[in-house]
Amino acid sequence: MVVYNPQIYRKYRLYLSNYSSIFTIYILYDRAVLHLDLDSFFVSVECLKNSDFLGKPLLIGGTSARGVVASCSYEARRFGIHSAMPMKMALRLCPDALVIRGDMDSYSKYSGLVTDIIAEEAPKYEKSSIDEFYLDLSGMDKYFGCFKWSKELRQKVIKESGLPISFGLSVNKLVSKIGTGESKPNGEHQVQRGTEKQFLFPLSVKKIPGIGKVTYKKLSFMGVRKIETLSNIPIRLLEREFGKHGKILWEKSHGIDESPVVPYHEQKSMSKERTFKEDTLDLNHMKNMLIKMVDDLAFDLREDQKLTSTVTVKIRYADFNTYTKQRRIPYTSNDQLLIKHILEIFEKVYDRRQLIRLIGVKFSGLVSGSYQISLFDDTEKEIRLMEQRDWIKRRFGQDKIMRASSLKTKR
Amino acid sequence: MKFEVSATELLKKLQVVHGAVSSNPVLPILEDFLFGIKKNTLTIRSTNLETTIISKLAVVADSNFSVAIPATILLNTIKSLPEHPITISVDEETYGVTIKSQYGKYKLSGDKPEDFPKLPERDNTNEIVINSSSLANGLTHTLFATSNDELRIAMTGVLFQIDYNKIIFVATDAHKLVKYSIGNIESEESSSIIVPKKGLSLLKNALPDDEEVTLAYNQKNIFIDFKDTSYILRLIDAKYPDYNAVIPVDNNNVLSIGRSDFLSSLRRIAIYANKTTNQVVLNLGDNSLNISAKDLDFSNEANEDISCEYGGETMQIGFNAKFLIEMLGVLKPEEIQIEMSNPTRAGIIVPVEQIENENLLMLIMPVMRSH
Repeated sequence: MVVYNPQIYRKYRLYLSNYSSIFTIYILYDRAVLHLDLDSFFVSVECLKNSDFLGKPLLIGGTSARGVVASCSYEARRFGIHSAMPMKMALRLCPDALVIRGDMDSYSKYSGLVTDIIAEEAPKYEKSSIDEFYLDLSGMDKYFGCFKWSKELRQKVIKESGLPISFGLSVNKLVSKIGTGESKPNGEHQVQRGTEKQFLFPLSVKKIPGIGKVTYKKLSFMGVRKIETLSNIPIRLLEREFGKHGKILWEKSHGIDESPVVPYHEQKSMSKERTFKEDTLDLNHMKNMLIKMVDDLAFDLREDQKLTSTVTVKIRYADFNTYTKQRRIPYTSNDQLLIKHILEIFEKVYDRRQLIRLIGVKFSGLVSGSYQISLFDDTEKEIRLMEQRDWIKRRFGQDKIMRASSLKTKR
Repeated sequence: MKFEVSATELLKKLQVVHGAVSSNPVLPILEDFLFGIKKNTLTIRSTNLETTIISKLAVVADSNFSVAIPATILLNTIKSLPEHPITISVDEETYGVTIKSQYGKYKLSGDKPEDFPKLPERDNTNEIVINSSSLANGLTHTLFATSNDELRIAMTGVLFQIDYNKIIFVATDAHKLVKYSIGNIESEESSSIIVPKKGLSLLKNALPDDEEVTLAYNQKNIFIDFKDTSYILRLIDAKYPDYNAVIPVDNNNVLSIGRSDFLSSLRRIAIYANKTTNQVVLNLGDNSLNISAKDLDFSNEANEDISCEYGGETMQIGFNAKFLIEMLGVLKPEEIQIEMSNPTRAGIIVPVEQIENENLLMLIMPVMRSH
């Protein structure tokens, strides 16, 4: 059996890692990482806007027959509903639940509000999603008391934004996040240094971030349900079963996570996809939809001053078989060119004359920069048109001007 | 059948001819040099079907014959021999080749000369004569601006437009364009051909100083002859884009600037631009130019003011610094002008005074800057 000794392990890592690497620095002193998570964020925002929703089972997500639950209130969770569940199934579990479509714009607004409060107080923070934050509080214990400081921050967020928030405080991102999960709803949880294992071991392996359906299933087949069991499996065996991921699993089960709190994440790709209300064979409609998605994404590209070099088309047939195809292209943010490539790729990837459930577009390989105008392909008129369209979209809103073909794609 | 030759003399020729030997050819025979001996003259030929290089050399031979010899082995052998006569003999039946030097014997197997591709036919050609230095100049000014896009095959070559008494070289990759013409050429007609850039770069490196070069061309090939060497390049059979139509004629915002100052400033600023897109911004005001670049990913930024003459509208125009640096790098005159119209239209770079019998125009497309 592998005996885990943190002292030896740390020295070993110190020895292994490059001295200039960021990880080394962290090992030299005790870390304190705070994880903050807004409780059922979308629902909380809706309740804030309309107090009638308070205390009722509320579902937010696609309202059509094939929509999924994006967020649900704790009252709804009592019926066994969870996010990412098909809306149809959720309504079967709780026919009286209120369903609303949700308003992404106001969620981003509230998320921004919370971010501002945290940014004002925190020495270093990472916004890892719309409703989750990591804060690096290393070195603050002596002067402020990390737990006390975190409690005050939480109260401040609740008071100023009106949204319920939970936190977990521990020695690294992993344990803090699991801690938050245990404290919910509207709670706080501290896992003291040295007690990580006591805390983790009785929990289900499902609670470890990064263990999804597939890994969980495989672990279950191996008879592993509790984190403690996982921690007792030799690292070699895990590596044999899970490849590279095995070592990470082993580390996670021991509460080891050296990933730093990174204040800024570079965007690596941008994408859009759409599930049709009904599976379709209507080629024209699908093409118009693709054009609309490319148009929107290309506008975002230009607004962020980015260029893409890889475009991908994704389709899902009615039988859930999903195919993607990508193409390397010269750096561009010109919608005309992008539409041409996307439609060509679509023709190639759509080779079974079968009903389609979903189509999507992704731009990756992003770099900062502006579109290099071409001498022969672009006319001055087209460039002007693109500039003016962007200007109108910026000033009056993205849906105020669009291609005629995109009109029909509106719901 | 054998001949005697100086190792260094042979090496010089082999190195030139080796340019057309591709490392991974479609036909195995293309890995060979074709050696042909006639009246004490050795003709060495290599080809990759697109480019053919021929070079001649005087030797002492006992008969007329030809043989194909594997290029890499032969070249490596000759390279490692000192200046000394060597004897190469060939077996008439097996085409086995034996090289005899002062140190010993080296045997390698040759191939049947009949398998080597035939020379392209040289008929219906037009001829012009041009000075080798002028030709080299034309190539230096244009080759860098050609495209690598195989989907637009025409732009992967340099356009030779022969127009009675002048020859115009044009190259473009849709983002930059160079038009360079040389006068004082004698030609009986006007025509234009597209010559692939690979062969031209080989040619450029082999061109001698100040010699006469004959360019003979027909529908399919161009035959370039100088001294004892010939290049035969297969022309690109495609339509060249109408480049004259895209060169603006009404660019009224003129920036006059010293080339080397501008170039060294750009080189410094470009260090701070994004490594993939290399974009810099020229901020033009009344007799002032500010060049700046930003790399948001690393929060690097730089800007410089340089002296210039500018009387046009104030404007901000973005360019790929790499293109500008390449273009300014091949220009020779010190005083240059950049003529612009607006931030989305092509800018033109020209020397203030054209060199006699030359006319040079460079064009660069800006990058679109929103906000």
